[in-house]
Amino acid sequence: MEVFISKLLWGGVVLSGLLLVAGLGLLWVTGDTSCPYGVMTFDWVLGGDPFLEPSHVIFLGFLVLIMTPVLRIVASTVVYAWMHDWLYTMLTGVVLVILVVSMTLGIG
Amino acid sequence: MGALLGLGGGVIMVPLLVFLLDVPIHIASGASIVAVVATSSASASVYVRDEVTNMRLGMFLELATTLGAVTGASLMANASESVLKALFGLSLLYASVVMGVQMRKTDRSWESRPDDWLASKLRLGGSYWDEAREEEIEYGVDHTLPTFGVSYIAGILSGLLGIGGGGVKVPAMNVVSSVPMKAAVATSNFMIGVTASASALVYIRHGFCDVFITAPVVLGTLVGSYLGARMTRRLRGVMMKRVFIAVLLILGLRMIISGAGLL
Repeated sequence: MEVFISKLLWGGVVLSGLLLVAGLGLLWVTGDTSCPYGVMTFDWVLGGDPFLEPSHVIFLGFLVLIMTPVLRIVASTVVYAWMHDWLYTMLTGVVLVILVVSMTLGIG
Repeated sequence: MGALLGLGGGVIMVPLLVFLLDVPIHIASGASIVAVVATSSASASVYVRDEVTNMRLGMFLELATTLGAVTGASLMANASESVLKALFGLSLLYASVVMGVQMRKTDRSWESRPDDWLASKLRLGGSYWDEAREEEIEYGVDHTLPTFGVSYIAGILSGLLGIGGGGVKVPAMNVVSSVPMKAAVATSNFMIGVTASASALVYIRHGFCDVFITAPVVLGTLVGSYLGARMTRRLRGVMMKRVFIAVLLILGLRMIISGAGLL
């Protein structure tokens, strides 16, 4: 369990780190310094040509980073269930629900 | 730095960005909250692998911090920020004094106590291999409910002030629940990412996020916290506790001053 969770966190960190480096690199190459202010949407982050708008890549990196702890909770809920540790399956499940609800409320 | 102490590092980053680099405060807060998530995941990946993090304790207390964060966010409208900051500052000062007093009694970073009834029910007690002491350290978790309560309050504060709350959670685990300093720091780091990710998402969605400032800051913290977490292995818990007390004192004073509107 420890190894799995640690690998998951590490994966999220490395992936977002790479996206950030790539985004900053593209910024430097393309010289596009247009700064995206205003409300971000998921469509905006995922759409857009990475070579034309490197800031999309950077935002994707942020999103990966932010989603890593959420994924960690999803993963631990599943692992606890798999180990038939129902007490902790329930506990992490409740945390997950609270988190998802607060995230959707916060966005809305 | 954040990784070493179980704090998000936001408390250091925001003033640095604002005063030294002339970044607007809301952009600085946005950058720092994303960086807090980075600190948490990067250092937790090391601590969890080394089995210093008490995952069960972390998951259990996350219940309190997330509930608290939701409470805090819904209280937002009718709370005075300066009173909150003053209260938070006072609790940090109190925590540092209690930790300091306790340190005079023992040469270790915690008082060894067995699990209480709730902790044994939840199997919260843990153990880890301490590289600095070169021994396997086993510990019990005492006074589980009070620590749960404190974590709930820490969650409220983080929801209200956008603070990770490590400054409250680490002393609670260490002093109230007799968890060794290293395990408390690792577990706090593990938890911080969860509440911070929720607030970071809100910041990003509202555009309080500048890629040119945030991306380098986040990259720096990713690398820094990974290295910091690796360094912690060799450090003694007592040493970490001393530094932690000093940082709490400074933070507490800063909070009170800023709450009083002087900063």
